[in-house]
Amino acid sequence: MKVLIVEDEQIMAQEMTAFLKSAYTCEVAGNAAAAINRLEEGCCDFLLLDLGLPDMDGLQLLKEARKICPDAAIIILTARGQLEDRIKGLDLGADDYLPKPFSLLELQSRMHAIARRKFALQTATIQVGDFHLDIQKRCICFQTTDITLSRKEFDLLSYMVLHKNRPLSRLQLSEHIWGDYGDADYDSNFIDVHIKNIRKKLSAYSTVEWLTTIRNVGYKVKL
Amino acid sequence: MQLQVKLTLFITLSKMAVAALFILLLPRLIEDIAFKYNDYYLHEQEKKVLLAIRNNGIETYLQGEDNYGSYTMLKEEYISLEPATSHYAGDTIETVKRIVEKDTLTYRVLSHQLHANGKDYMMEIGRKYTTISQYNRPLQRMALYVLGALISITIITDLVFTRYLLKPLGKIIRTRLFRSNFPFKEQGPPVNTTTADFKYLDNSLVALMNQINVAFEKEREFTSNASHELMTPVSILQHKLENFLADGNLEDEAQSKIISMMSTLNRLKKIVHSLLLISRIENEQFPRQDNVRLNTLVHQVVEELEHRTAAKNLDVKIELTATVVLRQLNQDLIFQMIYNLLNNAIKFNTTNGSIHIKEYLTRDTYHLIIQDTGIGMPAADLENIFHRFRKHSHRNNDGYGLGLSIVKTIADFHDILIKVSSTPGEGSTFTLVFNLRSQKASA
Repeated sequence: MKVLIVEDEQIMAQEMTAFLKSAYTCEVAGNAAAAINRLEEGCCDFLLLDLGLPDMDGLQLLKEARKICPDAAIIILTARGQLEDRIKGLDLGADDYLPKPFSLLELQSRMHAIARRKFALQTATIQVGDFHLDIQKRCICFQTTDITLSRKEFDLLSYMVLHKNRPLSRLQLSEHIWGDYGDADYDSNFIDVHIKNIRKKLSAYSTVEWLTTIRNVGYKVKL
Repeated sequence: MQLQVKLTLFITLSKMAVAALFILLLPRLIEDIAFKYNDYYLHEQEKKVLLAIRNNGIETYLQGEDNYGSYTMLKEEYISLEPATSHYAGDTIETVKRIVEKDTLTYRVLSHQLHANGKDYMMEIGRKYTTISQYNRPLQRMALYVLGALISITIITDLVFTRYLLKPLGKIIRTRLFRSNFPFKEQGPPVNTTTADFKYLDNSLVALMNQINVAFEKEREFTSNASHELMTPVSILQHKLENFLADGNLEDEAQSKIISMMSTLNRLKKIVHSLLLISRIENEQFPRQDNVRLNTLVHQVVEELEHRTAAKNLDVKIELTATVVLRQLNQDLIFQMIYNLLNNAIKFNTTNGSIHIKEYLTRDTYHLIIQDTGIGMPAADLENIFHRFRKHSHRNNDGYGLGLSIVKTIADFHDILIKVSSTPGEGSTFTLVFNLRSQKASA
């Protein structure tokens, strides 16, 4: 899938590209004019839009982009983070909104969710070892048996599956699980408890070797 | 006590004191005047008699007799001429008793010795004592009436005048100071007064309030701008570190260093986030339109924090009725506020401790009480716990103590009063008082 990153901070655009390139084809536009030019040449699937652009109000660009590419998924990325921006942005047809600083993992997971919803390209069930994970129905099963996980346990597992083969730190995981309210650093100790529970529940059915511990860092789902 | 009341009391009491003094002295004064006038009258009579004797000789009175005496009809006055028995002693006036036709009466008597026809005579002109003071009582009464009327009139005029004079002061207090919450609203036109002091006071107050508003506005702008400017480099750092970690080809030591850097960055992020949140709330950037069922909300928060309560084996007791719905709040902010309070109740609790959440409803207020069995705080700390970045003696692990600042900001934003009581070693109790009246009033 093609992603157009509209971001005037060059280093930031580079880092986003570096992270997403394994799953997406990324292009970068440093200002609104370049973005419009690029979109007129051909639409992209994802538009990652920074609202603080030098040459045009980001929300204005959002309107223009919607006209040119009605089907693109648009995610607003902004350091302004003002509530009205969020409401206006979603009203103008943005699919999601991420305030800076955001985690690249979080960005990718939002993109996955939108892709699933909007393009229905990915199959909802993912094979994880001997288990089937259904993200839409929020369940994991072994053959035909549903395994009961708590809400947080399921969130944690599906997040790790989504970012399979990447080492994920406890901090990154807790940031996703407990969100803005929590104290990710403090909560990261509790990730271990959840992982232990997940392992215990799943290993009753089959091996969970794919859920590996990385010393000093955290965990990784190897698939 | 209000200035107006003080002045009223002073004016009334001081006039009453003057009146009382006057009433005490009045009988003596009037008597004094009456006697002085009487003496003057006796002297006048004496002059008349002496003139008659000089012109017509003493025989006009004596008519051959040795002495002479005459009374008016009711024995009010008398005159007598008798041969003198003693030496000349000048004029005297004294109050003496005289027996007149068997009645003993008190007279005010003028005595004068005169020489006529080669003989010394003693002349007495007397006036009855009761006649002298017969007008004292009516005079006194009249004087009292006049005095009373005068004092009443002056009290009334004084009060009306001070009232008029102090009116601008009352208006300054009402419009500028009474219930004036920070940040101050746009101040109305200057208070209309000709008193220079009040003009000065009013102008100074308005100038001060505007100055504070400007300073506050600047601080708000700075916080907001600084936070935004900080977000971009923080984002870049975070992304770089994430990419580093995602690389997967790092040695163990490098990996754990990156983890530690991410943790530090997370701390920075959290501070900037909190500052931005406070600044946005103070900027009134959040709507207050949600109806919040606190019972549900508290359960959500407790569920969100379950892993922490479980780790400390805390007993969380929630005693809230399901029916209470508070209006015109911002659900997200109220969630954050209760989250922070419960988070502290857990953080500073002891293992196997408890948290008790209960409520209390009056006609105009709803109290939400969060009670913990934590380490508590000394009384000296209680005042400062809501200040930004204030370190507390026992909370050295807390680091960036912004949690309670956020609580305070959210509470102020919703007109919620926070009360804290704490005993070191026993625990703390936070009470949130929601003002139901203001909710209804703005509905």
